[in-house]
Amino acid sequence: MEYVKKDLGSYQLHLIQTDQFKTITVRVAFRSPVVKEEITVRNILCDMFLQSSSKYPSKRDLTIQAQELYAADIQTNNSRLGNYNNLDVYLSVLHDKYTEKGNFQKALQFLNEIIFHPDVHAQKFNGEKLEIVKNTMRSNLSSLKEDGASYSLMRLFEVMDKSRVSSYRMVGYLDDLEKVTPEFLYQYYQKMIRSDMVDVFVIGDIDFKEMTRMVREAIPIKTVKRQRVPYLLEDIRPRARRLFAKEVVDTSQSKLAIGCRCHGLTSYERNYALTLYNIILGGSGDSKLFKEVRETYSLCYVINSVPNKLDHLILIRAGIDKENYSKSLELIEKNLQDMRKGNFTDDEIKVAQEYFCTALDEVLDSPSRIMDNYYMMELIGTDDLEEKRRKIMQVDRADIIRVAKKVKMDTVFLLEGDSHEEN
Amino acid sequence: MKKTSLKGLDLTAYTETLSNGLDVIFIPFENKSNYYISYATRFGSEVTNFTPADEKRPHKVPDGIAHFLEHKMFEQESGEDPFAYFSKSGTGANASTSYDSTQYICYGTKNFLDNLRYLIQYVNAPYYTDENVEKEKGIIAEELKMYADLPDVQLETRLRENVYHVHPRRIDIGGTEEEIYKITKEDLYLCYNNFYSPNNMFLLVVGNFPMEEAMSVIHQELDSRENLPRAVIAPIKEKKSVRKKTDSFTGNIQVPKIGMGLKIAISDLGEYDDLELDLYLTMFTTMLFGSSSLFRERARNDKLLNNFYCDWDNTEEYKTFLILAATNHPESLIDEIRKEFAKHELDEAMFNRMKKVWIANEVKMADYIDSTVHNVYDDMIRYHRVISNKVDTIRHMDMKTLEKIVSRIDFDNVSVVTMRPQEEIL
Repeated sequence: MEYVKKDLGSYQLHLIQTDQFKTITVRVAFRSPVVKEEITVRNILCDMFLQSSSKYPSKRDLTIQAQELYAADIQTNNSRLGNYNNLDVYLSVLHDKYTEKGNFQKALQFLNEIIFHPDVHAQKFNGEKLEIVKNTMRSNLSSLKEDGASYSLMRLFEVMDKSRVSSYRMVGYLDDLEKVTPEFLYQYYQKMIRSDMVDVFVIGDIDFKEMTRMVREAIPIKTVKRQRVPYLLEDIRPRARRLFAKEVVDTSQSKLAIGCRCHGLTSYERNYALTLYNIILGGSGDSKLFKEVRETYSLCYVINSVPNKLDHLILIRAGIDKENYSKSLELIEKNLQDMRKGNFTDDEIKVAQEYFCTALDEVLDSPSRIMDNYYMMELIGTDDLEEKRRKIMQVDRADIIRVAKKVKMDTVFLLEGDSHEEN
Repeated sequence: MKKTSLKGLDLTAYTETLSNGLDVIFIPFENKSNYYISYATRFGSEVTNFTPADEKRPHKVPDGIAHFLEHKMFEQESGEDPFAYFSKSGTGANASTSYDSTQYICYGTKNFLDNLRYLIQYVNAPYYTDENVEKEKGIIAEELKMYADLPDVQLETRLRENVYHVHPRRIDIGGTEEEIYKITKEDLYLCYNNFYSPNNMFLLVVGNFPMEEAMSVIHQELDSRENLPRAVIAPIKEKKSVRKKTDSFTGNIQVPKIGMGLKIAISDLGEYDDLELDLYLTMFTTMLFGSSSLFRERARNDKLLNNFYCDWDNTEEYKTFLILAATNHPESLIDEIRKEFAKHELDEAMFNRMKKVWIANEVKMADYIDSTVHNVYDDMIRYHRVISNKVDTIRHMDMKTLEKIVSRIDFDNVSVVTMRPQEEIL
């Protein structure tokens, strides 16, 4: 595998040559500092890209064209990376050697069509298509409670600190949805193309020179921008007294969502010691929380912990019976305390290191994970795979205990299931 | 081992059937770093009524027992937790139960031979006690509740109850809380002994691994395992009709949902190769309801559709096409779908385009170890063999056959369920 990064002035082009995959995958990443009111319009834009374009007037026409390119796959995604909002457009298509000569070139033109030639007339996006997109999104935004697991997390973040970027709902907001008009959407689209920072990735069996030429043509972005805010959120202190909140819903199971703040971590601690800390605590099927809360006490089926490193958070969640709320919380608290006291074995550290190293090995089997890895290196300055492997092996017990002492349970949210149904 | 090239996919399958009937399938990937092992039995949630080997009378075991057994497989007499064993080498492990099978998997990049041996050993060594069976009930009850709380699951369950009269596919794979609380260790041993026998199981290994050494581990661990005489699964006497044609209920939702099930008796369709029949039926519904269909375009433009999901439910005697959708206009959407079934116009250009898409997708999936595992696993369960000529079979599909098969479908044999928000009835 060979990697080069080229500064094309208005964007960075990352080329990864490998003959390991039958496909060529392209990722165009637009990003700008996250603004709460812009999340919904970016989500809409993601859907509008796949709804129609100037040359392909309907979603069916777009789909047929993608199918004609030997099932080329185009996807869009809007997500948050710390203080930034990141909008990705992906293209994945079989290499010409499995299709026909020129197929990739055509697929790249198709990507160009979708991003740069939207269905716009007289400075307005197609209003009918916009209504279709809004209609589906409205329906989804009205149904958020159907998925208690993710709804409980959204509510946790809001209860924790509503003003903070980490509380923004990446699914968007109904109020903002209603404000998006065809004119406004076009203005926003232009602003994004003009002022978002852009990174482009191509991975597959490619020729660097030829690919650079092709991408230059297909991604004609001209403006130069620079980074304005850091990726990491501000590192704030946990609240002095723990906050408890709950909301009652009509379900049989309750969802417990706990936000822990990690305060004062060095970047080494955040990237390595915290990673091992989390794997040992609740990051695997062999973790402390899984063994104790699920296997020993039979209190739940799902329990795990996940770090949000850029937000300085660790999230713990479990699906429980509401009667077991206090018991579950008590056990989780005890496990956090055990981590601080160093009540974990050297074996558990070793297992967590192995677990992490396997995840590193597996990066190389997936085009999107390889691109992600380079993207994080570019944005946040994370280490490369080899360096990660080396550093994770150096983490010792003292490092993990030091991190454990910096992790504090901050907010506890219970989505309380109170079922009225007979069955 | 028998070597079979998976034509058009740059893959080769190596297969061998051990003397006790256990099938071994290897699919090597030299350019990847990981491996994936699946040890599986053709025992799933739909087997609850059978006459055990050496007995005369049929037994009815509680619903959800296959899934319960899967959970309890992780209990070892030594007290060692298989998850913990695999974790030591950074290896992931899991298990899953479906209507017609159960599999135990591990996947990773290290310690292949030991992990292979361990996977076989732990699945071959059940250890059920009154205490450990009791302990699992709370965990599984929470799992059942988690799914039962999801409106989409409620809808699908109701639809299945209305499509099938007696078929166990009416019942959730995990069973019900009431049923699982009845399960005893004796029930578990009975199922294990009858269905975890070598001639009912297979072992699938995909990825980067040493084949010869793997085979010798398999011989060491599995050659001596013997079969019980086969248990006789009670035949399921399912009627051709759907049980209930229309139904509605309310749920904790904001946007209405609909479910539709078209039930087709395989015997009505004529004699076809099982793989071909599935391909034609899937082609048919893809042409009618797929992402590039005229129906989807129309329903989208009329704002009849918010979310749309469809799939085939395959049993031995029936093929049921299930549609689940969210819509603000349930009546109009149901009407449109009924019309689409009745009309079922088949466009040849689309037929040819879909063949091209399917072939491209087969090639793409062959790039990934996990997709390859899923494909071959499904083929082993459904067709009892590794399919080596899927690409060719797709290429040779023709419109005439499609039309002939479709002409034999009874499009009135549909069950429709509407799920409405609770507020509406208040």
